[in-house]
Amino acid sequence: MFERKRTILLSALVLGLAAGCAVLGDGTYRERYPDAQIDPFKGVEGDVGFSDTIQYWRDEAALQRHAGLADKPAEVWKLNWKHMDLDRIDLHPGHLAVDEGQALVKKLAARNPAFLTCLGEGSADLKGKAAAYPKFDEALGRIVTVEARIEHCAKSVLKEDLSQGKPPNTRISVYFKSLSAGMPIKVDLSDENVMEAYRRGEELFYRKTGQLNFACASCHVPGSIMGHKLRGETPTTPFGDAAHYPTYRTPVGALESIQERFARCHGQMRTQGLKPGDPAYADLEVFVTVLSNGYPVSVPSAR
Amino acid sequence: MKRFVLFAAVLQGLTFAGTAAAQGAAAPQAAPGYAAYPCLSYSLPCGKLATRKPEKKDLVGPLNGNAAKGKQIAQARNRGNCLACHVMPGGSQPGSRGPDLSHFSSTGRSAAEAYAMVWDMRTVNPETLMPPFGTNEILTDQELRDVVAFLLSSK
Ligand code: HEC
Ligand code: HEC
Repeated sequence: MFERKRTILLSALVLGLAAGCAVLGDGTYRERYPDAQIDPFKGVEGDVGFSDTIQYWRDEAALQRHAGLADKPAEVWKLNWKHMDLDRIDLHPGHLAVDEGQALVKKLAARNPAFLTCLGEGSADLKGKAAAYPKFDEALGRIVTVEARIEHCAKSVLKEDLSQGKPPNTRISVYFKSLSAGMPIKVDLSDENVMEAYRRGEELFYRKTGQLNFACASCHVPGSIMGHKLRGETPTTPFGDAAHYPTYRTPVGALESIQERFARCHGQMRTQGLKPGDPAYADLEVFVTVLSNGYPVSVPSAR
Repeated sequence: MKRFVLFAAVLQGLTFAGTAAAQGAAAPQAAPGYAAYPCLSYSLPCGKLATRKPEKKDLVGPLNGNAAKGKQIAQARNRGNCLACHVMPGGSQPGSRGPDLSHFSSTGRSAAEAYAMVWDMRTVNPETLMPPFGTNEILTDQELRDVVAFLLSSK
C-alpha cells in the first residue's frame, strides 16, 4: 500500500514536471510559470541577462543618455518608468505625503515618544533605517516591512489602529522611507529567515492563480508578456521596482503601497487579492525588494 | 477632478477592467469574487485550490455562432479581452504577445480546432500564456461559439 502510494506520488511528480508544473507539498496540482533562475545575491544587477533593461535606468546618467526612449511608445517600457524619478526635485504630491507623514509621526510621538523609538528599534533616529527593510524581527518572530513596523508600533505603543494599506500608514511609510532616499537598498540575505522568506516569495511569483491562470511571472519575466503591449499597458522587469514604493499614483490621486500594487495586479489576473500585510504579500515583498538590492531608495516618487 | 480620474483610467487602459483592484484604492467598487480559483493565500481556502487540469473539449453539433457578438466579446475587457494579446479586426489598443488573428480564416483552421484552442490552449501548448477560456468558465459554450464565428469571419 505504502509502496503504491509512493509510485503514484512519484509519477505525479514526473508528470507535473513534464508539463512544466510542480506538485506542492500538500499534493495539490498547481501550475507554475517556468523558473527564470534569478540569483538573489546579485540584487538589482540580476537584471543583467534578465530583461537587460537596467542599462537604460541604472542611474541618472543612463536615464539622461536614453531619455529619447520616453518618446518611443514601443520602447518606453525599457526605462522601467524610472525616468519618472527624474522629477524627484519637482513638487509633486508625493512630497506633500512626506510632510503629512512627518507631521503625523510628530503628533503621535508627542503622545508617547516610545512610538518613535519603536519605529527606530531603540533609537529616535530613522535616517537610513528603511533601506534595510523588509527584515526578520526576532522579538516578533516574523518578517516585518516598513508598513508592518508602523502598524505594530501604533498598536503596541499607542493602542492606535494604523492598519497597512490605510492612508495614515502609507503616509508615515513615505516619510520613513524618504529618510533613506538615495541610500542603496540592502535586504539582509545573510539572515536565514529572510532567505527563507525570499524563497517563499519566489515560489509565489511563479505560481499560476486565478481565473486567467496567470502567475506574476506570466507578465514580469523575459519570454512572457513583459515588454509586450497588453492593450494600453506594457509590463516591465520586476527589478528595481521596490525602490520607489509607496508611490503617488497621479492617475487616481492617491498613495499606493507595493502590496496594494500586488493586489491591483491580482485584480488584473482575476485572482482573489489579499490584504496589505498578509504573510504571502510580505514574502512577495521580500522577493521583489531583494531584486532592488543595491538600488537607491527613490521615495517620494510619482507614477 | 472626477473627470480627470476617469479620463486617466481610460488612458491607462485598465487591462482587465471590472475589478475593484484594477480601479485602484481611490475608487472602490464591488469586487467580483475569484475565490473559486487558486490564490496565493496561506490561510484562505483558495490558497489550497488546485489549478484546473487542461481539458480537451470537442465542438458538439454545428457551430451556430454569431460573429458580431463574438467580436464584442473578444473586445470587452471584462469578457474575452482577446485584444489584450492579439491583433483582431476592429477594436483599440491591441496587444502584441499573441499571434495576429486579423486574417485567421486564411490559416485554414476548422471551427472545431479553433473552438478547442480557445476552450483550453494548454491542450495544444502546456506552457501557453493564453487563459483557458472554457475550462475556467471565462466564457460560456455559446460565447465561445460566437468568438470562433468571429475568428472564422476574419479575412
Ligand atoms: C496580466 C499581466 C500582469 C500580471 C500577471 C502581473 N502584473 Fe504586475 N504589472 C503589470 C503591468 C501592466 C504593470 C505596469 C507596468 C509596469 O510597471 O510593469 C505592472 C506593475 C507591477 C509593479 C509596479 C512596477 C512599478 O514600477 O511601479 C509591481 C511591483 C508588480 N507589477 C508586481 C506584480 C506581482 C507581484 C504580480 C503577481 C502577484 C504581478 N505583478 C502580476 C502586469 C501584470
Ligand atoms: C494572455 C494572452 C492571450 C490572451 C488574453 C488570448 N490569447 Fe490567444 N494566444 C496567445 C498566445 C501566446 C498564442 C500562441 C500560442 C501559444 O503560445 O500557446 C495564442 C494563440 C491563439 C490562437 C491560435 C492561433 C493559431 O492558429 O495557431 C487562437 C485561435 C487564439 N489565440 C484565440 C484567442 C481568443 C479567441 C482569445 C480570447 C477569447 C485569446 N486568444 C486570448 C495569447 C493569448
